[in-house]
Amino acid sequence: MERLPPPDLQRLMERLADGDREAFRPLFESLWPFLRRFTSRHLRPEECEDAAQEALLKIFRRAAEFEPSRPALAWALGIAAFEIRTARRRRQRRREEPPPEDAFESQRHPDPTPEEAALTRDLEAMLREALGALRPEDAETLRLFARGERAAVAAATFRKRVERALRRLRAVWRTTDERP
Amino acid sequence: MSVPDGALARRAKRAYEAGRLEAAVGRSLLLLPIVALALFCCSDPARILISGLCLLAAVTFCLWRGQAYGRGVRPGLLAGIVPLAIPLAAQAGGHLCDAGRCLLVPSVCILAGAAGGVALGLLAPRPRDAHGIPLVSASLIAGLAGSVGCLLYGLIGLGGMVLGLLAGAAPVLAARQVR
Repeated sequence: MERLPPPDLQRLMERLADGDREAFRPLFESLWPFLRRFTSRHLRPEECEDAAQEALLKIFRRAAEFEPSRPALAWALGIAAFEIRTARRRRQRRREEPPPEDAFESQRHPDPTPEEAALTRDLEAMLREALGALRPEDAETLRLFARGERAAVAAATFRKRVERALRRLRAVWRTTDERP
Repeated sequence: MSVPDGALARRAKRAYEAGRLEAAVGRSLLLLPIVALALFCCSDPARILISGLCLLAAVTFCLWRGQAYGRGVRPGLLAGIVPLAIPLAAQAGGHLCDAGRCLLVPSVCILAGAAGGVALGLLAPRPRDAHGIPLVSASLIAGLAGSVGCLLYGLIGLGGMVLGLLAGAAPVLAARQVR
């Protein structure tokens, strides 16, 4: 793995903290790939890019506060580690891990009664109807989400789409459920 | 999603400049209580307000710009504290004296300026360092800080302070140049 030589990083951070704008470009070019590799070791592919970007922007935003007596590598890694933790906590809150494909299948009674089978058929029909009532892009978003995939957009954008689609699904479901 | 490196570099540069400006403003706002005190003591706050705002702007710019400009801030403020504080102390001590009506005012400002000038001569970087930029920024900040105090006594006070500052700094700087 290509490593960022600590002496260069230290010197460049000190210069940037002092206000030497000439240090910006070389520091950016050495820090960006380093942060991407670091976050990719701790996060999923769809998360590591965002976390690396957030860490990079935060490092540069706080560069004026950098104290030359501190080791620059540890300082930068501390900021990156914070973004990694934030991404993990966000993932846990959203519970983005989709259930295993057979999760519902395994919870079904191996030998359902005729009434249970009828109820399951009705629920599946209602879900299909509710999905059909959604806009095509919402339905597609939920299908991708259920399969553990993501559309070709930024993670934050896909998250918002999922939340919106679920909200609309709930609204449609309530309407469907309340019909006589 | 991958952002092109050029776009990300521009965002990072903007973040860097915004962070520097934020830090500079935060530090220069520490001068607000002193400016507020001078405003409180003054019968004509407009001129104090203008010099105070100029001081804050100068300190913010030098801190944001950094390097040679930033190195003049601390010596400038330390040198300017004397001509700033003494007129305020005189005012607070009850010696209310409008410019032109007593000899004490110009004397106080000249002497305070001279003390500040000696401090400037001792603390500021030498004229040949970094093309003289740190010395210029230190002198400007010292002058503006002193003006916040000495403008309490009008333009005579300001003039006396500037003369004192020059008279105090010049020989000390000349001596340091020789060494």
